[in-house]
Amino acid sequence: MEPEQTRSFHDQFVELFQAHFPRIFRYVDRLSGEAETAADVAQEAFVRLYQRGSLPDAPEAWLISVAMNLLRNTRSTQSRRLRLLTPARGESAHSDPAPAPDELAEAGDSRLRVRAALDRMSEKERRMLLLRAEDYRYKDIAAALGVNEASIGVLLARARRRFREIYEELHGAP
Amino acid sequence: MHLDEEEIQRHLDGELPPPAELRCREHLAECADCRRRLADAEREEREVETLLHALDDPLPRIEAEALAARAVATTPGPRFGELTWVRRAAAILLAIGIAGVAYALPGSPAQKWVHAFVEKLGGRPEPHRNGPNSYRPPSGAGISVFPDQMLVIVFRSGRHGGRVAVSLTDNREVEVQAPPGAATYASAAGRLTIEIGDAPAVFEIRIPRSAPRVEVWADSDRLLLKEGPRVTPDGARGAAGEYLLQLPPRAPGSSGSAPRIPQKSPGP
Repeated sequence: MEPEQTRSFHDQFVELFQAHFPRIFRYVDRLSGEAETAADVAQEAFVRLYQRGSLPDAPEAWLISVAMNLLRNTRSTQSRRLRLLTPARGESAHSDPAPAPDELAEAGDSRLRVRAALDRMSEKERRMLLLRAEDYRYKDIAAALGVNEASIGVLLARARRRFREIYEELHGAP
Repeated sequence: MHLDEEEIQRHLDGELPPPAELRCREHLAECADCRRRLADAEREEREVETLLHALDDPLPRIEAEALAARAVATTPGPRFGELTWVRRAAAILLAIGIAGVAYALPGSPAQKWVHAFVEKLGGRPEPHRNGPNSYRPPSGAGISVFPDQMLVIVFRSGRHGGRVAVSLTDNREVEVQAPPGAATYASAAGRLTIEIGDAPAVFEIRIPRSAPRVEVWADSDRLLLKEGPRVTPDGARGAAGEYLLQLPPRAPGSSGSAPRIPQKSPGP
């Protein structure tokens, strides 16, 4: 393998992009449920990395943190836009309530079922579960979410159990 | 002792350090209960991952090169208005730097202009504090120092010597003036050394009446002592009552830089 210092930043960037763009896109897509937003956010995270001109100490955690911030900003903008367009819906405008179980059963859409279960989890549990599903290491998850790395295992196990319990509660055993 | 939840999860995710991993495997080989818990966790993880795949959309076709080009094209830079301010700030800093250099250059008339301007405004140039490292050698137009409890002024002879007119004033600081380029000055705590140049020079020294003790020396000879209200010797006086002192020329063969300055002022 070529030593780090002999490779240009551009080469390192391309390598990082090829290794991590798919999972950042997938993570944001799963989190937001909006493929277009996920594509924009994942691209913008890499654009910012390139504009930085050098790799951070922990590029994977850095990218995921930037992506999460971008998604938060995007949602905030969308939320403001929704409130302006539909003032009657007030605070609930930015986050639609999850569909009722009977609606989901009729729809038979597995995507909606999973989405409904995820939406009932706490934000932290949801992010942790989705990050681990993309095979992020514990240290990167801890850095991205600002939690203690020593307890990531327990938190992950709880998040997974919680998701399964909610899913079963809504739709029965998978 | 069974494996805890953290250990089982870390074992599952390959996050245990090697020694802990070894212990974990040894324990699992012997403990059916922990093997069952591990199997449950594995199954649960597989099920969850399968469910999450239902959320996936096709990966968009994006090229790294395209993002790099976009990054370069959208890198924020100073806008026109900001650039103007940056240039203005740079010009101001450059002007200040040039003025500072012009002021500090030996023989520069800038110091005279500044002093004259300040005096015209009704003020006086801020004197140099009489202490170590407090002095920046002037160009020859003059220097002023606070006398504190005692000040020794030592002239080092030039080739032609010179003359000194000492007067008493009501100012707060001792002022020494000479034609530009006639001398160089060095200051230390309680001491002002004036190195006379090669041209004949006339110096003016104004000593505050309030200064407790000021001495004027020419090399190793004391020419004047002002102690309290008393000035000795009460020698030749000018038309305005100033004390007139002679600075002898450097003796042939002697070096102008020889350390002939008294190290300690003789006390009364």
